[in-house]
Amino acid sequence: MSVILIVEDDVFIRQTAEMMIEDWGHQTLVASDVEEALALLKSDRHIDALFTDIYLKTAVHGGFELANEAVKLRPELRVLYTTGNFVTDKMKALFISGTQLLRKPYTELQLESCFAGLLAA
Amino acid sequence: MPVSDIAASDIVETVPSALIVLDRNLNITSANRAFYQTFRTSVEDTEGCLIYDLGNRQWDIPALRSLLESVIPHRASVEGFEVEHDFPIIGRRIMLVNARKILRPGDHDGFILLAIEDVSEERAARRESNRAWQLTQSIVDTIRDPLVVLEDDMTVVTASAAFLKMFGITQAEAHGRRVSELGQHQWDVPALRHLMEKVLPENKPFDSFEIEDDFPVLGRRVFNLNARKISQPGNHAHRMLLVFEDITDRKQRERDAEMLTNEISHRIKNNLQIVIGLIAYEAKWTAAPCVQGYKAMQTRIGAIAQLYDLISQSSRGAAVAADAYLREIGKSMTASLLDGTSDITIEVKADALNIDPNLAVPFGLLVNELVTNAVKHAFPNGAGRVVLSLKKTSDHVELSVADNGTGMKEKDAPKIPEKRGSDYVAIFVRQLSGTITVTSPESIGTTITIRLPLPVIPLGAAPLAA
Repeated sequence: MSVILIVEDDVFIRQTAEMMIEDWGHQTLVASDVEEALALLKSDRHIDALFTDIYLKTAVHGGFELANEAVKLRPELRVLYTTGNFVTDKMKALFISGTQLLRKPYTELQLESCFAGLLAA
Repeated sequence: MPVSDIAASDIVETVPSALIVLDRNLNITSANRAFYQTFRTSVEDTEGCLIYDLGNRQWDIPALRSLLESVIPHRASVEGFEVEHDFPIIGRRIMLVNARKILRPGDHDGFILLAIEDVSEERAARRESNRAWQLTQSIVDTIRDPLVVLEDDMTVVTASAAFLKMFGITQAEAHGRRVSELGQHQWDVPALRHLMEKVLPENKPFDSFEIEDDFPVLGRRVFNLNARKISQPGNHAHRMLLVFEDITDRKQRERDAEMLTNEISHRIKNNLQIVIGLIAYEAKWTAAPCVQGYKAMQTRIGAIAQLYDLISQSSRGAAVAADAYLREIGKSMTASLLDGTSDITIEVKADALNIDPNLAVPFGLLVNELVTNAVKHAFPNGAGRVVLSLKKTSDHVELSVADNGTGMKEKDAPKIPEKRGSDYVAIFVRQLSGTITVTSPESIGTTITIRLPLPVIPLGAAPLAA
C-alpha cells in the first residue's frame, strides 16, 4: 500500500481519482492547488507519489511548479502529471526526468497501469 | 630601360589623353595622336590654327575661353577644369582639361600645354548608376516592409523609409552602421549573424528568422527576417537585402487562437473526465456482468478524446491529413494496447489523402475498433503484426486492417461485424457510407477492408508532407 497525494482543482475529478486509487488499496491525500499541496509536502506525512494536474486554478503550469518544489523537498517522490491540454514540446521540456504523464480523460485501467509502473520503478 | 631614357615625344604619342600645345596667341603649335583620334581632325587642319577656329569654330567654347583668357594668365597650372560641349562631329562630350604654362629660359611668353581627357562615358556611367540607385531607393521606399541594403561587411548602405520610420532613426544615422549596432543591439544574435555571414559568400538566402524583443520606439515586437544577395549587372560588388517583416499582429492572433483551442480542449477533456468518473461511480454499484460494458464505454470515451487531439495535430488547413492521422492512431494504439515488451506490432501504410473533419471521428473510432479486435483476438500466442493501410483507387478509397494471426474460422462468420447490425464497426461503416468485406484465406490471418466513397476524402490526393 502506498500514499498518493492527488492535486486537482476540479472537485468531482479529484473525488473520482480518490475513489479509483483507494479501490486498489492505496491511501490518498488531496489538495486543490499548489499551496495546499506544498503544505502537505512540507508536513511529516508519509507520501510515496504525487499525482497532479498541470493547469491548477489560475496557474497554467502550476503542476510543473509544484512538482519541482516537491522533488526538492522529497527527492524520492514519484510524480505523475495529468492534463486536458495539448502537450507541446515546450511543455515536455518542463517535465522532471523520470516522471510520467497521463492525459485526460483517463480510465481506471489507465490510471492503475500508470501507478503500477510508477510505484514499481 | 629607365623611364627617364624614353624620349618625351614617345611618351606624348603613347598617353591616352589628348595633348595640345598653344602659343601665346592661342594658336595650336602641335597636338598628339590621341587628340587627332578623339576629335577626328588632322595635323593640317590643326597646327597653326587658333584654337577657337579649329573645326569650324567648334572649340569656341565660353568655358574654354574663360580658362585660357582669365584663369591661365594668372596661374601656372589648372587641373580638372570641366568643359561640357556639343561638338558637331563627335557629339556631346564632357572633358576634363588640365593646363600648364611652359616657360623656356629667355622666353617670357611661353606656351600652354593642354591635356584633355574625355570623361563623357565615365560620367554617363556615373549618371546611369546614380539614376539606377535613385530608382532602387524609390522602390525600396515604396515597399511597406522595413528593409536595409547591406555591404559585405554588414554595414548599412541604405535603409527604406519604412525602416527609418519604424526604428525612429535617420538615413544618416543608419548609413555605415552595422546591423548588430542598430537599436539596442536586438539584431546582435549569434544565430542571425551566422546566417547573414553565409548570404553573400555562399549565396545562401534565408527566410523566416524570427526575433521577438522590446524595441525602443515600438514596444514588444516580433519580426521575421529574410535576406538574399543582390547583384547589379556589370558590377562585381554584391550587396545583401535584409527585410524585416513585422509579424507581431499575426503572431498575437496565432497565440490567441492557440490559447482558445487549448482552453476549449482543457474544458472538453475535463468534462469527458467527469463523464468517465460518472460511469466509474455507476460501475461501482452495478452487478459484475455489466461492469465490463461500463469499462468498454470508458475506453471508447477515452478514444474519442484522443482522436480529437490527433485530429488537431493532423490538420491540413480545413481538412485532416488522413495519412498523418492514421499514423498517429497507430502510434497511440501501440502505446495504449501494447506495452513495451509486446511482440505484436502495428504498422501503417497510407497514401497522402485528406479526410473531411466531420468524418474524422467515426473514421478514427472504426480504426480503433478494428485494431482493438485484432490485437485482442488474433494473437493467442501474443505475437504478430497488424497492418493499417489506406489507399486511393480510381473510384474509391480503401481502408484495410490486416493481421497475420489465427484467422477467422467458419463458426466465427456470424460475428462478422456487418452481419451484426448493432455492432459498432457496422455503425461507423454506415456513417462513412462505406462497405465492408472480411477475408481470411485458409484461416491464416484476417483482412478487413472498408471501401469508402471518394467524397469521404473530399479534397482528393494531397501530396503534402504530413
